Amino acid sequence: MADIGYKSAPREWLEHLAKKLKEKWDAFCAMLRHGNIRVACSMLLMGTGQMMYRQWVKGALYLLVQAGFIVYLVMAGARDFFGLFTLGSVEANPWYGIEGDNSVIMLITGILSIIVMVIYVSLYVANVRGIYATQLRVEAGKKPTTFRQDVAQMFDRKFYRTVLFLPVIGVCIFNVLPIVFMILIAFTNYGGDIVPPKLVDWVGFENFGKLVAVGEYTTTFFKILGWNILWAVASTAINYFGGLALALLLNKKCVKGKVFWRFFPILAYAIPGFITMLGFKYMFANGGPINYYITQGGGEAIFFLGANSTWPARLIGLMVNAWISIPSSMLLATGILSNASKDQYEAAKIDGANAFQQFWYLTLPFVVFATMPVILSQFIGNFNNFGVFYFLRSDVSTSAGYVLANDTDLLINWLYKMSIDNNYYSIGAAISLIIFIITSVISLVVYVFSPSYRQEETYR
Amino acid sequence: MKKSKSIKVSRTADVVITYAILIAVAIFFFFPCLWLILSSFSDSGSLYTLNGFFPEAFSFQNYIDLFTDTQMYNYPEWFGNTLFVAVMSCIFGTLLTILTAYCMSRFKFKSRKALMKTTLVLGMFPSFMAMTAVFLLMTQFNFINNHWGLILIYSAQAPMGYMVQKGFFDTIPSSIDEAARLDGATNFQVFLKIILPLSKPILVYTALTSFTWPWSDFILPQLLLPTMDNWTVAVGLMYLDETEFARFAAGSIFIGVPIVILYFCLVKYMVNGMSAGAVKE
Repeated sequence: MADIGYKSAPREWLEHLAKKLKEKWDAFCAMLRHGNIRVACSMLLMGTGQMMYRQWVKGALYLLVQAGFIVYLVMAGARDFFGLFTLGSVEANPWYGIEGDNSVIMLITGILSIIVMVIYVSLYVANVRGIYATQLRVEAGKKPTTFRQDVAQMFDRKFYRTVLFLPVIGVCIFNVLPIVFMILIAFTNYGGDIVPPKLVDWVGFENFGKLVAVGEYTTTFFKILGWNILWAVASTAINYFGGLALALLLNKKCVKGKVFWRFFPILAYAIPGFITMLGFKYMFANGGPINYYITQGGGEAIFFLGANSTWPARLIGLMVNAWISIPSSMLLATGILSNASKDQYEAAKIDGANAFQQFWYLTLPFVVFATMPVILSQFIGNFNNFGVFYFLRSDVSTSAGYVLANDTDLLINWLYKMSIDNNYYSIGAAISLIIFIITSVISLVVYVFSPSYRQEETYR
Repeated sequence: MKKSKSIKVSRTADVVITYAILIAVAIFFFFPCLWLILSSFSDSGSLYTLNGFFPEAFSFQNYIDLFTDTQMYNYPEWFGNTLFVAVMSCIFGTLLTILTAYCMSRFKFKSRKALMKTTLVLGMFPSFMAMTAVFLLMTQFNFINNHWGLILIYSAQAPMGYMVQKGFFDTIPSSIDEAARLDGATNFQVFLKIILPLSKPILVYTALTSFTWPWSDFILPQLLLPTMDNWTVAVGLMYLDETEFARFAAGSIFIGVPIVILYFCLVKYMVNGMSAGAVKE
């Protein structure tokens, strides 16, 4: 049944959107026709209408917002906004004392100016809506709200606005802005030789072309992508089922002293990840303890993490990641298992199901169903697992046949080496967009096929 | 008679195998820790002179050096920096995350679904993508080499992970706050007097996760704190090499122990928090 609803969803959504827009437009027209002079004043100069209704503080605040915005626009905003399109036209020239334009800073301030404009427009809309609501209120024979009442509303009916204001601004500046910045960078030639004071320019899809057309980047890209997918699938499976197995083992009736046995995984869970990863790097180092025993036994030291050891290093990476992640999977599975209904197991036992059958037909579907979102986020976390190989193979910067990457690097490590270590910002940005596309397609597929996602309300 | 005997044998075998696996697991997880602890007390400082996993002579010298020999590696300073950044980010991050999650759970405002979807999509972007831009932004705001810059970033990004907390608030029946609303309480009062006292597990969980993130992060501090005296412990320990292995071990133990103790005290809350966020998406 759900399928039918799904197929027509985009059309439904469009129709819904059209209806919403029409409603908005109608409401706006009604306001234009019906609004009095005070509404018009507020539309022209924010807050003046409010002042006419003797809402002095509110009016003054709105007026201040508009004044501030105009000052910003004149001082920097307009220049910043247009700078986003030109990315600078004057190249710096120290000989003639020309300071020149910094394209990258212009890009950032340009995005910032758009964010400021969006905030201003939403405040402006709130201003006009507010004054019209006040007009209707007065026409209905009530008094305009006092400032004290407005403040009280901010802690009651509109509490969410008060609260969400700061997080939304923070996320806009530290999440949205950087992401938009990098998306835009992917379409410029920023990086390599072209860094400020040289001028950066828009180049369209050239960077993506470099990655997928035949060339030096292409082989590296597909090699890394293949290993990246293998890594994500393998480590997610190992960590998830390892954790589940451990939880089931500790749940067994015959195990005495569960607190004692649980101590060890939790210890591993609590140790900060970078200590673990550095520790394992030392353990498998050329002069490390494992090689000490090998040489003591008359063998030759093995360079586990050296330049030529692809698979040993990869397997050690899987092992280290398991060491770090299995404990949290175990804790999660323990929590989920304690919610499982005992009756089903009793019934299964009476029907003569053995331990394996109970696991396969009862435990596994239940746990997997309940933790589908977690598996997904673990998969994406592993797909973008930066730390493991960053630490383990920090001594091997590149391998033969790879451009600026070694044979254990994941896409995220490659991205880091490209953009942070070697200044190839635009290619790095293109890689991160590709990572985004892969992870979001996977999430979307899981989202569509897993029932546990669509049932937000069933648990309430 | 025979059948019961074979059941008994297989039972015993089951118990033996179970314990064998448990012991193997315990060794797998505990041995690296034990090795690090022993190394931190070893007499010889370098990885090469350690001779295998077990040092031959023990001393406290590494710990003493850690705090007295600060010419090259100023560990006490790093520790102070880490503590400051982690505590501040924990306070602001927890506050913002809890409030965001509460609003997303309780208020059915117009742009709620859109906001939720936006955060979902934003979470899909690899976090490194932001690095270059964050670095340039911080240069613009003059926050390079400043711990408040780090705190700002950690706190501002914390509300992105509100989902677990929202899942928890969703499990608190809304009839409770409706009753309080009927008695004339404002939403702010409902949150402060009714919801917050019920949310101790999720508060602890949020505080712990937003404390451990800056406590063990190495990427942002490395990028934003170029001066050695401003480093955090994670960055500092990364720069010790194999000849300073014992010092690394001692430094790791010293920064690891507080976190380990915290986890063991609060593990109950962690499990609750995790499964709350997992099941009730």
